[in-house]
Amino acid sequence: MIEKLSESVMDKVSIDFLRDQVLKNAYGNDDTPIAALDPRVLLLWYLFFGIVPWFLNDVVVLLGFFVLTVVTTRVARVAPLVLFVFAIGVLSQTGYTFVVSLFFEGNLDTLASLLVLTLKVATCSLASITVFSGLDPDRLSNGLLWFGVPERLSFSIAFAYRILPILMEELQNILLSYRLRGRAPAHDTLMGKIRWLIYQVKVVMMSFYPLMLNTAKRSRTTVEALELKGYRYASTNTKVLKIKLSSLRAGRREAIFVAASVAWVALCFVVSRIVGL
Amino acid sequence: MSAVSLRDVTFTYPGAAAPTLRHVNLEVAEGDFLAIMGANGCGKSTLCKTMNGLIPQFIVGDLEGSVTVAGTDVATAQIGELAQRIGYVYQDFENQLVRPTVIDEASFSCLNFAYDDYVERGMRALELCGLADRADSYIWQLSGGQKHLLALAGAIALEPDVIVLDEPVAQLDPYHADQTYKVLRELNEKYGKTVIVIEHHTDFIAEYCTSAALMANGTIAWKLPAHEALRRIDDLAASDVHPPQIALAGRELVRVGALPENTLLPTTVDEGATAFWGVPFIPRERAHAVHPVGESAVSFRHVDVSYRSVKGEPRRVFHDLNLEIRRGEKVALVGANGAGKSTLMKLMCGLVKPQAGEVVLGDVSTRDIGPDELSERVSLVYQNPEQMFIKDTIRADVEFAMRARGVADAAERAAALLDRFRLADLAGHDGRLLSGGQMRRASLAVGIALDPPILLLDEPTANLDIGTRQEITKLVSDLRGITDTVVIATHDMQLVCQFADRVIVLTDGEVIGDAAPDEVFMNEDVVMRSGIRPPEIFQMGRALDCRAACYTLDEFLSCFPAWVAAQRGEKNEIAVSGDRDGRECA
Repeated sequence: MIEKLSESVMDKVSIDFLRDQVLKNAYGNDDTPIAALDPRVLLLWYLFFGIVPWFLNDVVVLLGFFVLTVVTTRVARVAPLVLFVFAIGVLSQTGYTFVVSLFFEGNLDTLASLLVLTLKVATCSLASITVFSGLDPDRLSNGLLWFGVPERLSFSIAFAYRILPILMEELQNILLSYRLRGRAPAHDTLMGKIRWLIYQVKVVMMSFYPLMLNTAKRSRTTVEALELKGYRYASTNTKVLKIKLSSLRAGRREAIFVAASVAWVALCFVVSRIVGL
Repeated sequence: MSAVSLRDVTFTYPGAAAPTLRHVNLEVAEGDFLAIMGANGCGKSTLCKTMNGLIPQFIVGDLEGSVTVAGTDVATAQIGELAQRIGYVYQDFENQLVRPTVIDEASFSCLNFAYDDYVERGMRALELCGLADRADSYIWQLSGGQKHLLALAGAIALEPDVIVLDEPVAQLDPYHADQTYKVLRELNEKYGKTVIVIEHHTDFIAEYCTSAALMANGTIAWKLPAHEALRRIDDLAASDVHPPQIALAGRELVRVGALPENTLLPTTVDEGATAFWGVPFIPRERAHAVHPVGESAVSFRHVDVSYRSVKGEPRRVFHDLNLEIRRGEKVALVGANGAGKSTLMKLMCGLVKPQAGEVVLGDVSTRDIGPDELSERVSLVYQNPEQMFIKDTIRADVEFAMRARGVADAAERAAALLDRFRLADLAGHDGRLLSGGQMRRASLAVGIALDPPILLLDEPTANLDIGTRQEITKLVSDLRGITDTVVIATHDMQLVCQFADRVIVLTDGEVIGDAAPDEVFMNEDVVMRSGIRPPEIFQMGRALDCRAACYTLDEFLSCFPAWVAAQRGEKNEIAVSGDRDGRECA
């Protein structure tokens, strides 16, 4: 039974699966309500939920913030893998701190204060997951551009999304070369399993060398093509910037989104007041 | 006025001992459709880069002479100005695409040059290339052919007068190459664009181009109307360009006196049909290959495969696929890109597991053994040889699998293999830094290092110039005696004809043809549906007699009794003269 389970887990956590999840996260949610929002509004929204929780200690308000970001993350249709990594990160952090605190005569009060910390971390991370994986890379980079982030950086973000699938595929094929031609240690005993794991990690590390070389080889054409498409020319032309930014438009949808967020935040404070009394 | 004019152009790359271009003079008339032919490394790509200003503005080096494009002097013009005169599509066009979505990519240059209507311009380019309905797709969702068309759309979005393409056919299957060429023809005929292609494939040149130039040793040897150029058989052959087989056949028939001395050599099937009309042609009866009834090497039983897709339903590749490959068979898998050829190969080496049904290798299901054990039964050589190189020298790469399995004489066996593939001198080099043909040879050596009973080759001749292609074809044919069962996925019908005894035609994950090459190529329905392109000489034979099935020049010629008789006569002559010589010596 355990054997079967571990096999099926191993089967799931293949590079293929990772690739699929990364791509899903990058491209699979460009038609959600979140993705349609003006990136500038979303970035400001993120700034609020990324910073403000750190100055609050009210559990009710924090809980309210958390619920809101959970909802937006749901609406943004973030890939399960990202959420899984998020959950592991947050829970292990809190759980571990709680166990340690028990050694130092901690009690339920400790748990409550830990809950506050956890809520802060979780709210902040979910807000960033919503914005950065919910937005389509190009819109995100346009938003950043508007806030005065250098053009090179915002282009890099969009370009990273372009080469991501290429890199993943290249890595997958190189790993396959190792898997096919190499020989993984037998993994029926515990020692074998450890050796097998070490071998797998080593293979991933060794794959980086060919991966980087292959990518470097490809980039020659890319650099020349960028030149031919006038990319360098554009970075000194303010009109290009203006055209790019003219596609940003904040309208009713954004107003509703902001209003709803503000109303929810206000409600949280009101409820906290009532409960507090 | 000339669209492109090069006068006495000489170019030396920095640090190079000799110039890559030597005193090149070339005038390309407005509205011309020009093919530039020449061996690998003769300077074709460099020549094109002088036209679009990459040389000298981006790639520094020593440039002499003058280059003008549509009246603009390349050396002094802004790259921006030039980009609106000339568009360029690279051979490795996939790396030319820099934006995540199709419409972004097509309109990117217009945006960079600050056109307010950049989206409309991008859309117009997409429409011209037949990609308008994919505007909102992401680039990785496109097929290879569509990516090529997109690279073309990106190049024509600025409405340049001249369009340059570097080896469009090399990376595409014939069906998609045809599509690209049809778009080019429309741009040329309807919109008056001047088109310049670097091209080796004389069948495409004969069909689409109006003129052709031959480059050799960094200079233009000549520039002629296309059909005239293709008749210069000796010049072409000397430059590693495969002359049209029909022209070669024509010359042979002239030589033996079956055609008059002054015959214009035919270069296309239509011209051939006219030229060979009246010369007696008797198709040979071909013995149909008997299907071997040996034991099974691989069998697919009710196999279902689908891939997770990023959005929506999983994409189904195979449904209830049943197929049997027997020991000792030499199989060619053909069909357009995306028909399932690669998936079929991955199924055989256990990289993809079927969702339903099973793939059985000999006596075990691929489900039951790990990939490293499978690799002793079956070996896959990727289409992209770079991905086979995981060590920093090719010697280490060839040895890798043997060492991992503790083969005692790994070093000796590797040395023997490197020798066999004529790589001994390069053994210490990184595989990535070799030329196309050398890389391919190295990847073959890596593939057969473990002496696998089943060898799978994915597109072994893609991306190679004709000379190298013939070399690889020969190497692969030599494998016939060594490796037992070989399966090749390919678009190269010449390779199919020389190698395979069984052809499996895939279209949309379905086997629509599975027979000896003859029967498959003779079946018009299969040829139509799969978009495969039988070799020209085969089509020529069929045009003369629908029963003819010739795959090589010799097979075609031997259908002419006149040629056979002359051939026999020559042999006798040689034998007789040999005899006489012998007697004299005695």
